[in-house]
Amino acid sequence: MTTVQTIVKNASGLHARPASDFVVKAKAFQSAVTIRDADRPAGTAVNAKSIVRLLSLGIVKGTRVEIAADGPDEREAVDALVALIDSGFGEA
Amino acid sequence: MRIFKGQSVSPGVAAGRVYQYKAFVRSVYETYVQPGEEQAALAAYLEAVRAVDAELVKIAGSFYSQDRDKAKIFEAHREILADDEMDGDIRRAILQDRQAADFAVDRVCTEYAALLGRVPDANIAARAADIRDVRNRLLRVLHGEKEHNLSQLPDHSVVVAHDLLPSDTATIDRGSVAAIVTEVGGATSHSAILARAFGIPAVLGVPDVTKALSDGEEVIVDALCGEVLAEPDGETVASRREKQAAYLAERQEDRRYLTLPAVTKDGTTVEIGLNIGSETGWPEDESFTFVGLFRTEFLYMERDTLPSEEEQTAAYRRVLERAKGRQVTLRTLDVGGDKTLPALPLPKEENPFLGSRALRLCLNYRDLFLTQLRAALRASVYGSLQIMFPMVGSLEDIRAGKAAVEEAKAQLAGKGVSFDPDIPIGIMVEIPSIAMLADEAAKECDFASAGTNDLCQYLFAADRMNPLTNEYYRTFSPAMFRILSAVFDAFRRANKPVSVCGEMAGNPEAALVLLGLGLRKFSMNASAIPAVKRALRGITLLEAETLASAVCAADTEAAVLECIRSVAAGRAERR
Repeated sequence: MTTVQTIVKNASGLHARPASDFVVKAKAFQSAVTIRDADRPAGTAVNAKSIVRLLSLGIVKGTRVEIAADGPDEREAVDALVALIDSGFGEA
Repeated sequence: MRIFKGQSVSPGVAAGRVYQYKAFVRSVYETYVQPGEEQAALAAYLEAVRAVDAELVKIAGSFYSQDRDKAKIFEAHREILADDEMDGDIRRAILQDRQAADFAVDRVCTEYAALLGRVPDANIAARAADIRDVRNRLLRVLHGEKEHNLSQLPDHSVVVAHDLLPSDTATIDRGSVAAIVTEVGGATSHSAILARAFGIPAVLGVPDVTKALSDGEEVIVDALCGEVLAEPDGETVASRREKQAAYLAERQEDRRYLTLPAVTKDGTTVEIGLNIGSETGWPEDESFTFVGLFRTEFLYMERDTLPSEEEQTAAYRRVLERAKGRQVTLRTLDVGGDKTLPALPLPKEENPFLGSRALRLCLNYRDLFLTQLRAALRASVYGSLQIMFPMVGSLEDIRAGKAAVEEAKAQLAGKGVSFDPDIPIGIMVEIPSIAMLADEAAKECDFASAGTNDLCQYLFAADRMNPLTNEYYRTFSPAMFRILSAVFDAFRRANKPVSVCGEMAGNPEAALVLLGLGLRKFSMNASAIPAVKRALRGITLLEAETLASAVCAADTEAAVLECIRSVAAGRAERR
């Protein structure tokens, strides 16, 4: 299991297109991938390959998220997803 | 020839063929399959997913070149259809719990829709509707029904339905729809608003019309007088066609007036305001000078939770920023009566329009009211905002509303949050009792705006949603103009601003009389602006005042309409 935290910095948070992009990227990996709102102590990790679950977290700009992956390509999955969030999804 | 009468909610005349439309009715029972039949049930589900995906690809593709935003809606539906978790839950429900495919789809999708509906962010909560849409598609395919939506219609279709859902109207094939006719719904229904926005002629509230008209039959829809004509004779076809051409020419002419200043022929300047529900869909900046009615209900509708203070503050701020310094009048939550909220179950009332609605309801649900007032106050630092209470009937009401504002201010001040301490507080004049007390009311509030739709309903004791009382609801009665005149005079004496934000302000004929009665602030929907400006620019103040005196001295609605017509005729002669 590989786990990394990062902060969402694009204006719209993980909504709309950024959320779609995130799920598409997560689905590209074999490993099971989860995401969690790390600012909420009780925040549960949800399947990062599910758009509905991801949206249900309501992650806004400035939220610290924790991405965890478990499987053969867990390292690559986490790196790629963190890089995507850090890129700001092409938003200003 | 057969004639059916209804309410004209979006003007125009059109001829076309009847396209009978029945929305899919979802009915699912809790059913399980026999042991050993799980794989067959799973196969049925997977086949339905494939079929639905193909439908979505096709619809998205058809919109892609003309309307990217609409195409994106269907792309989003494909994502939901392929959702890892939802799909997994449905498969498990079928294979492990032996649920029938339709039952599994219905239960799982409904659960996920509720999950999203609970997210405080309104944009996300609204996605619950997308899940329900996908669910209905899957169920429809599983039940072996063909796709029916309005996104691809034969040319010149007159859509005839019992009622239309928001998703039906949003995706309607605008190039091919000639007109809309429904059995239910009024001027303020969703279908009506959309028809007006798209410029589609619509006659709603035509009893039993789905039974009376057959599919493919040729009809004329005259949404200028609220008539649907079946089996029209040649003469009728020709005369309605002329009417349509004349109407279109008039609208074309009106459009030139949108951005011109609203000034009478002799130089009296009138302020034209805009009625809005959000920061989108506004006309050009030059076409209006203030926002006379910001309806806040939309923030509360079609969702399972009430909007938070943060969310409301952000929404009000967006409107104020869009207004670019122009004054915005925010009307506090106006629900009850015909408008209900899923997030706030209300007790059923015998007479909802005479019941606990608008300000009355807000005073009953004090936390809800204070949350909105705090949000409005917090947003007030981003522009020129004023607060207006709907359904005010007495001085007691005004005082109770103002006390709530003071309480909200104290709560914010206690937390050190900044707001405009002198935010103007005003009232809607829509209950006759407050019109009778206009002098006293003008002393206790900063401004007033007449809501003529409800004022007319309460003045005449005629339900404006009831087709049976339509003829008793007399907007052009001298009684309406006399009561409005008294309100205008009272506020002028108190040196306080007064406006009209109801339908009358957006009606070019009524607007001339209101001008003559002393009104200088008219607020209306964007689509009404050109015709009103055109009317105001074509008259002198003296002419308008003469007309207003004649109207107030008249005895019946017919007499008032006669006065207005003679002025119009006189002006036409001098052109």
